Amino acid sequence: MQTSRRVRPPGRTSRMIVGLAAVIGLAACAPGGAASSGGSAEPKQGGAVTFLIDSLGDTWIPNNSAISSFQGHIWGHLTDKLVYVDEKGAVSPWIAQSWEQNTDATQFTLKLRSGVTFSDGTPLDAAAVVANLDIWSKGDPTRGINPIGLFPKTYKASEAVDATTVKVTFNAPTLGFIPTLGYHGSILISPKTIALPAAQQADLSNDLGSGPFVVASWKQGDSVVLKKRADYDWAPKALSHQGPARLDTITYKLVAQPSVRTAAVQSGQADVAYNPSPQELASFKAQGFTTATPRYLGFVNGFAVNTKVAPFDDLRVRRALQHGIDRKEIISTVYTEDWLPAQSFFQSNVPGSTDHSADFAFDAAKANGLLDEAGWARGADGLRAKDGKPLELTLYANPYLATAKSVDELVAQQLKKIGFKVAIQAFDVVTYGERVKVNSPSVAAYEVTRSFIDAGTVAGVLTDANKGENWFGLGQSDPKLVELATGVARAATVESRAPLLDQLQGHVLQQGYFVPLTQIVQRIYLQSPKVHGVTYNGLAYANYYTAWIG
Amino acid sequence: MNRDYAKYALRRVLQAVVVILLAYMFTFVVISVLPGDPVTNTLRNPQNGFTEEEITRIVAYYGLDRPVYVQLWSSLSRFVVGDLGVSLRSGLPVTRQVGEVLGSTVVLALSALGVALVLAFGTAFGAQYLPRRVGRLLRAFPSLFLSMPNFVIGLVLINVFAFQLGLFQVIDSEGGLATFFAAVALGIPVSARVTEVLIANLDHEAGEEYASVARSRGLGRTRLFLRHLLKPSSLPVVTVIALTVGELLGGAVITEQIFGRTGIGSLVERSVTTQDLPVLQAIVTLAAIVFVVVNLVADLVYPLLDPRVRLGGTTSAARPEPRDLAEVVAP
Repeated sequence: MQTSRRVRPPGRTSRMIVGLAAVIGLAACAPGGAASSGGSAEPKQGGAVTFLIDSLGDTWIPNNSAISSFQGHIWGHLTDKLVYVDEKGAVSPWIAQSWEQNTDATQFTLKLRSGVTFSDGTPLDAAAVVANLDIWSKGDPTRGINPIGLFPKTYKASEAVDATTVKVTFNAPTLGFIPTLGYHGSILISPKTIALPAAQQADLSNDLGSGPFVVASWKQGDSVVLKKRADYDWAPKALSHQGPARLDTITYKLVAQPSVRTAAVQSGQADVAYNPSPQELASFKAQGFTTATPRYLGFVNGFAVNTKVAPFDDLRVRRALQHGIDRKEIISTVYTEDWLPAQSFFQSNVPGSTDHSADFAFDAAKANGLLDEAGWARGADGLRAKDGKPLELTLYANPYLATAKSVDELVAQQLKKIGFKVAIQAFDVVTYGERVKVNSPSVAAYEVTRSFIDAGTVAGVLTDANKGENWFGLGQSDPKLVELATGVARAATVESRAPLLDQLQGHVLQQGYFVPLTQIVQRIYLQSPKVHGVTYNGLAYANYYTAWIG
Repeated sequence: MNRDYAKYALRRVLQAVVVILLAYMFTFVVISVLPGDPVTNTLRNPQNGFTEEEITRIVAYYGLDRPVYVQLWSSLSRFVVGDLGVSLRSGLPVTRQVGEVLGSTVVLALSALGVALVLAFGTAFGAQYLPRRVGRLLRAFPSLFLSMPNFVIGLVLINVFAFQLGLFQVIDSEGGLATFFAAVALGIPVSARVTEVLIANLDHEAGEEYASVARSRGLGRTRLFLRHLLKPSSLPVVTVIALTVGELLGGAVITEQIFGRTGIGSLVERSVTTQDLPVLQAIVTLAAIVFVVVNLVADLVYPLLDPRVRLGGTTSAARPEPRDLAEVVAP
């Protein structure tokens, strides 16, 4: 008996006991409990919000970081924009009080609000706006300042007519100019900051805006603390609140672990957790927490099909792809009911987006019929082939959308049912950028996730006209597409553009060039019930200028 | 002895310089053979809407379009005069970025080392002198500690002590108690190796004649442990501590992420994922310097601590290796 004890490796049982205890402890420690509900419905002054975020991006050079999904939160509170774009895409005055354009939308005159200052007291006047427009458009290659990529490339020049009037001219009609001024890249920065070398602009303390908050302290890759600006008095009229912010401070703290972010909000140590898992939202709501899934303005999540790659040069195969995907199942499996199926290849909140869901509705019988008609016969394993070639498709999960791989796996299962053999490739951001390019011969279906502020942006991606991105590999070969895209690009008024946009959406979808999946929610928020009055803008950023703690 | 010692010390210092230079160049080569570069990778995000022409122009500004050997030469010639350059991602000087976070990691690593030593000496003492059943349980600790990943320990500690008991705030990640629990998460796996070596050496020393004599003269357990057994058993621990520096730095990458601390570990993680070469080179060089210096100090101190150690013609003979781990499981 004693011998056998000695032979046994010492402490195995004890090790198991301790290990088991650790596992049980871990399971038992999951923070739970309901959030205390109630609180004041009346706005209150003071208080602080702590926002846990998964990244704080890389650089703080304004031009190089303004459109970051993470830093955009901070820029939104430090700076103002010329116009305000709400979550429905409606454009309203902000620093620009009014604007006019000529008949062919090549010249715009902006009338600025007077009395606006940057946080160092420098006036936000016409000269400051011209300095900003120039740096957005051209950047400064000699100083490592990038241009804002999505700023209209038709920009010619701007001039300060007087202290509050700016005249902006373009080389071609640019109807999207005004909405673009509300885009997250178009943040107004003090000319003093713009003149600084890049290394000094990379220090957030030097980046001065005119927004309702200023930087109290920051640490690279760790946190940013903002405090309210007492003399702020130029909020967009579209917001429910005017004057200085109600909150005293907002702290953005980087916490990389999603479970730690959400548990910190559940335990009351923080107020907002960014990007929790969609599958957890129902449970958070049941516990009394607020969740928000605002949609940005832009393209839906879907595939841009390369019509040069066989067999997708066949309209019937492209349409089968569209009808073979069950979008409701994607929403119920990967997301929650907060997500919406696509109605077009634009998100439905984009002005000018029209409902074309019938053109690509899930209909397995129709998809099978189209593939039969195209000569793709099913084999014994249920997969289709034609002339000895299997019906294959490779999906490259978009690394910029956390749920892309899960969605692709479900889509692969759905397409298998209609006879497609689908492979999925998931790369990190670096490898993806190198290997997966839109309109590349090896990428038959490019997974799109992209925001924009004006539907006119679409003209720059559909064909190769004006160095367009040529998403579908068509070049100028589809005359109707060229005509509609050119019409959208050249339209001088929103009214004259609307029918063209509607026809364009119909044409792209009926030709199976784009296979929509679901509308995108790229920014997800879990929020303590103590936080009230948060506003979400057209780019789905949370704005705590209007918020209060109650 | 003195002349031998000086020659030995000089040789070790020269070796250290070569190791540091090699580490710097090795990092450059490894990162350079990866596809893409940090600037292009950012700009290619379709959300940015840059044309290929714009990307080419921006990449040229950073000199990333030059041949790799030209880039290496210019980087190396800056390095030898102490210029670490500017981060390709943040645009901030590398010295500032590393300097800002260094203190946090030093505090974490030293605290973790402290936790590891307390655990190791406590466990080793208990394994020797507590009742056999408890002793056996304690002897299982090193393998248990080694098999517990620090991210699991970290998440359990955060759940229990921050969220359940409210002892510390996750957002105040540099606070005293938050640092202590991060040090515990990092220190537990690190303590395993120290404990194993200590237990093995204590077992060995306890079986020596002088210990039996001391016991027969009626010397108490604690006195025997502290006065006679601890010093000879601890000498090999000096070697192990020198080797744990790497573990501490490696473990800090995960621990800092879990506890939301901003230190060298989280900077490494960010720089690797973004291929921020100048920052990575600085950190790898710093790690090489720390590793080389700690080992150098251990090597140079050892002959002074233990007169039995003689300096031979080869440097590696200076420090005895820690006792074989197999001896731990056969008490």
